[in-house]
Amino acid sequence: MRPDQKGEGGIASPIAALLLAAAVAASATIFVFRSRRLIGLMRAARPAARSGDIGARARNEVSIVLGQRKLLARPGPGLMHAFIFWGFMVLLPTILIALIGVTDRTSTLPWLGHQGWYALLVDVSCALVLVGVLAALWIRKVQRPRRFEGSHLGEADLILGLIATIVISLLLWHASRIALGINDWPASWTPISRALSHLFGGGQGTKVAERVFAWIHVLTILAFLAYLPGSKHLHIFTAAPNVWFKRTGAGGRLEPLRFEPGEGETDEDLRFGAGKPADLTWKQVLDTASCTECGRCQDACPAFATGKLLSPKLLIMGLRDAVLAGGEQPLVPDAVPEESVWDCVTCGACVQACPVTIEHIDHIVDLRRHLVMVESSFPAEAEPMLRDVERASNPWGRAQSERADWAVELGVRVLEPGDPAPEYLYWVGCATSFDERAKRTAEATARLLKAAGVDFAILGPRESCTGDPARRIGNEYVFQEFAQQNVETLNGAGVHKIVANCPHCFNTLANEYPDFGGDYEVVHHSQLLSQLVGEGRLKPARDETLAITYHDSCYLARHNDVLDEPRELVAAVGRPVEMERSRRATFCCGAGGAHMWMEERGTPINDARVHEAAATGAGTLAVACPFCTVMLDDGVQGAGEQLRVADVATLLAEAMDVGATAPGGTSATGSPDAGDEERT
Amino acid sequence: MSGILLFAFEADDELSQQASALAAALHGDLDAITVQGSYAPAAWAAAIAEEVSERSPRAVLAPGTERGNELLAHVGALLDLPMAANCTAVTLGDPARVTRVRWGGSLLEEALVHGSPLLATVAPHAVTAQPFTTPPRALAPAADAPVRVTERIEAATGGISLTDAPVVVSGGRGVGSSEGFAVIEELAALLDGAVGCSRAVTSAGWRPHSDQVGQTGTKVSPELYIACGISGATQHMAGCKGAKKLLAINADGEASIFASADYGVIGDLHEVLPAVCAQIRKARGA
Amino acid sequence: MNILVCVKRVPLTGGRIVLSDDARAISTRHLGFTVSPHEECGAEEAVRLVEQHGGASTVLALGPAEAEEQLRDMMAIGVDRAIHLLTEGEEWDPQATAAAIVTAVRAQSEPFDLLLFGNEAADSCDYQVAIRVAYALGLPVVTGVKGITVADGQIRCEQETDGGRDVYELPLPAVVSVKEGLNLPRYASVPGRLRAKRKPLQATRPAGVQARLQMVRLALPEGSGKQAQMLGSGAPAAAAIVGVLGELGLL
Repeated sequence: MRPDQKGEGGIASPIAALLLAAAVAASATIFVFRSRRLIGLMRAARPAARSGDIGARARNEVSIVLGQRKLLARPGPGLMHAFIFWGFMVLLPTILIALIGVTDRTSTLPWLGHQGWYALLVDVSCALVLVGVLAALWIRKVQRPRRFEGSHLGEADLILGLIATIVISLLLWHASRIALGINDWPASWTPISRALSHLFGGGQGTKVAERVFAWIHVLTILAFLAYLPGSKHLHIFTAAPNVWFKRTGAGGRLEPLRFEPGEGETDEDLRFGAGKPADLTWKQVLDTASCTECGRCQDACPAFATGKLLSPKLLIMGLRDAVLAGGEQPLVPDAVPEESVWDCVTCGACVQACPVTIEHIDHIVDLRRHLVMVESSFPAEAEPMLRDVERASNPWGRAQSERADWAVELGVRVLEPGDPAPEYLYWVGCATSFDERAKRTAEATARLLKAAGVDFAILGPRESCTGDPARRIGNEYVFQEFAQQNVETLNGAGVHKIVANCPHCFNTLANEYPDFGGDYEVVHHSQLLSQLVGEGRLKPARDETLAITYHDSCYLARHNDVLDEPRELVAAVGRPVEMERSRRATFCCGAGGAHMWMEERGTPINDARVHEAAATGAGTLAVACPFCTVMLDDGVQGAGEQLRVADVATLLAEAMDVGATAPGGTSATGSPDAGDEERT
Repeated sequence: MSGILLFAFEADDELSQQASALAAALHGDLDAITVQGSYAPAAWAAAIAEEVSERSPRAVLAPGTERGNELLAHVGALLDLPMAANCTAVTLGDPARVTRVRWGGSLLEEALVHGSPLLATVAPHAVTAQPFTTPPRALAPAADAPVRVTERIEAATGGISLTDAPVVVSGGRGVGSSEGFAVIEELAALLDGAVGCSRAVTSAGWRPHSDQVGQTGTKVSPELYIACGISGATQHMAGCKGAKKLLAINADGEASIFASADYGVIGDLHEVLPAVCAQIRKARGA
Repeated sequence: MNILVCVKRVPLTGGRIVLSDDARAISTRHLGFTVSPHEECGAEEAVRLVEQHGGASTVLALGPAEAEEQLRDMMAIGVDRAIHLLTEGEEWDPQATAAAIVTAVRAQSEPFDLLLFGNEAADSCDYQVAIRVAYALGLPVVTGVKGITVADGQIRCEQETDGGRDVYELPLPAVVSVKEGLNLPRYASVPGRLRAKRKPLQATRPAGVQARLQMVRLALPEGSGKQAQMLGSGAPAAAAIVGVLGELGLL
């Protein structure tokens, strides 16, 4: 017990007030001093565009912060945290009550301090918090989930201890006040405090105890306040603003960089990603200050799950340490190992999982941008792709004159300059144009659109790579050249509506090209085909015995919320079977983030997904993306599973008998165009 | 002014014999020469140029090897005459008419050559070799040779070179990684062959440039060239069109390499090659 | 050191070559362009030599206005300045090309210590421009070089032949033509590209001369478009492959 708290009824108010003032001043000073560093870092940091869209931001605050939506995605730990959070929301006024109470034993907050219902809420909240703390301890000490690997567990224990102390001291303070008969609220409203009050006699000892508990309560809070800025618990201040400033548009859009100095700027002011701590934007700094080391991102990461070095959690923690240390040290490799920067497939599972809406992909892409554009440092096997995409306009270095070869026999209209614009511009994409397995999707899509009488055309050789692989690997410069070129071509052709096969093309065309003057209504082929089926313009025959499991493409499902239309197509041709990790919880095929052109260490991500698909017992694995097609088919062949990988367009075409390839067997065997004729 | 001067490196050099065959088909007396001593291009060219001034031939031909092209280019510079490199056909005249090779063999050019005598090198493997009836006459190089070979570094490794191997097993993008080349190396070893690769592979860092077959890599002429996971870009085909037979293994049935191949297999090289290795071992009665 | 490297803008042809209607050119619609591969290694070597020995490098191209793209690309990897000899895109034969280069070289205020060329241009494959330039300037020349070392005013060149390497040592100034494999050209950084936009580029229009090696027309070789004998699909085709090996006497 505190040696300076003695005497009848406690120390006289003025001395108590002075001591309190001193303690508050000390705590506040330390808090401000330590926070200034962080605020200073944020102010000195690079700009980020996060304004506007107030309605969406407000809704996010309500659902994610107040409603704890992301945390509750895992019910157990979610409730644990929600109890503590909601509990403390209710308990906030008790801080004022306690500050008043230590100065003057007889006073409390006007009106609220006397309300029985509030006192009941306080009682219940304290209990909830304690339940939460116990649950947290159980999770950390007994369950020990893998997501905590690498987190600062000791610090977490300390914080739980402080929380418990705050709440227990509050309850005991209330209890002792009831025992002394000086409770400001009707005791009948607070069953817990009243029960605890039986521990106290009501005599001199209790008088001392009452003061002691009050001071413990206040001093613990003040100590906590001073401790916060350097600890991971800072999230109680940073999480709410971080949620406010999270992206409100599509998740798949990356922020463009500028390559021309603006007014009053020189070349030196241009920012090419993040090389040292000062290169991070204020949102990125805020991200690192919000991390609670919970590890949900690490759990969700397909790279981490398959033995790669990358842990999104450790990446953010490393950046946080680098930000706080400041200096000119390169972020890679000092704060973040180089290998982990390249392990990322930009699937977005980490961003989705994060309860405080940290946007890990922005960090990783900015690290990549610096490595690629300034240091010219990237995995050697990606160099051909980078050179080819720039010189040959596609990442495989094929001649653009051969891009529409797949369409020759199908009589697909190729849009030449000056031709009238079609209703839909069918954006085929590099993979679908050149890869032998993905080409089946193009053929099926073209046949289906023709069968439905849709007015469409392709750009053929004038369709360049959208630039997605260049952008995701970090070469923003090359990406922007393509964006500008393609927008010019599309606008020049009078295009308004685009249907795309590839979710990466779809994402870039819909969400990223508007930054370069390209505003189009973009749909994925599964959306258009599903619409045509719904309208009766395409009538597939359903085969109830055909069990099909659908793999959600990250860029469709997670980044763009296209979840139902491909499923409608699957349901229209066969019997759908869902995998456990489906819809927005899908598990990446492994090709995102330019990984189609990079080597993979550890267990291949696609193998893991293929096993999951095979376990459903379905014979067909439906996809909606050329990368997924290739990766999962590779996985099937490597794993020796009996699964046929096919795009939903191919399955639909087969169910309509429009002359697509024959079903059965893995799609790599057999030659294409086995003598099929077009049927209208 | 009637003779055809033919420069040959050695009497038994196959490419010189091919050049000789083309020269012999032209109207004129064939005069075959060579130069003695260690290679010194400017000095050798000066000797050839002197021979030209003395003999006034209608044409000077040489094999279209690196050194053949270099030598005749020196002669052309010395005598201020045009030089047509890598010709597949020659018709003398004023101007002379040649068909020559561009893009390493993927394109042909018909050209007029204004100047006499005609300087032309003969594209390798355009003409069947014809042995020399009399050995080439040896000339002495010009005395002053500031540019000459001062040292020779022999290749460090044993193992068969790309240019000598009877079989070349070559991998492209389709191999997927440097580890993926293990199966290519295995097949090459079984057939006493050499491993080659495409430019994409070198650029990705999977194999050294010394393995690269192509227009800017090594040009090979084995009995059999097995192209695995190679799409067939002209750049690459320029390096292997000297092969007697070409087998293409590619998962893409529409890859352009099949249009240049003698035999084709549609399939994943990582499935096909191990099966082939197993069959070879079986056939040899392991 | 004051180094000149000469490059040419060539198309990236892909799987097959398509000719223009009059068969006097390759149809380059939808084709990308690049610096001829040997020459890109030459430019990289120029940059490395200047990094090692100090001095400056210059890149030169004879070509149409679009060739500026290739000149800026070479400046992006570190070459200091460029000379653009502008043409209308027509063919220049090796003698005319060499003469234009020699005129431009003589017009420079500082002489070059080293002139680097590609061994042959990817498209025309003439193998002679470097040599003609050397004779015109009275300089020694080595071709087909895959290894370079410069020390004490001497250049040591390694040429690959017959499974080994022949070594030449020349005094500078000299002309050297190089081959791919000499080095691995670096990937240009974005700051490098931005700087390249502002580096000096001197453009002149050289007077052409009558072609003495005069292209009449182009043609595709016969035998392209031949039909391969398909031996099968996948692993089951192995037996047929081994059969072919046996027939060819390679087993």
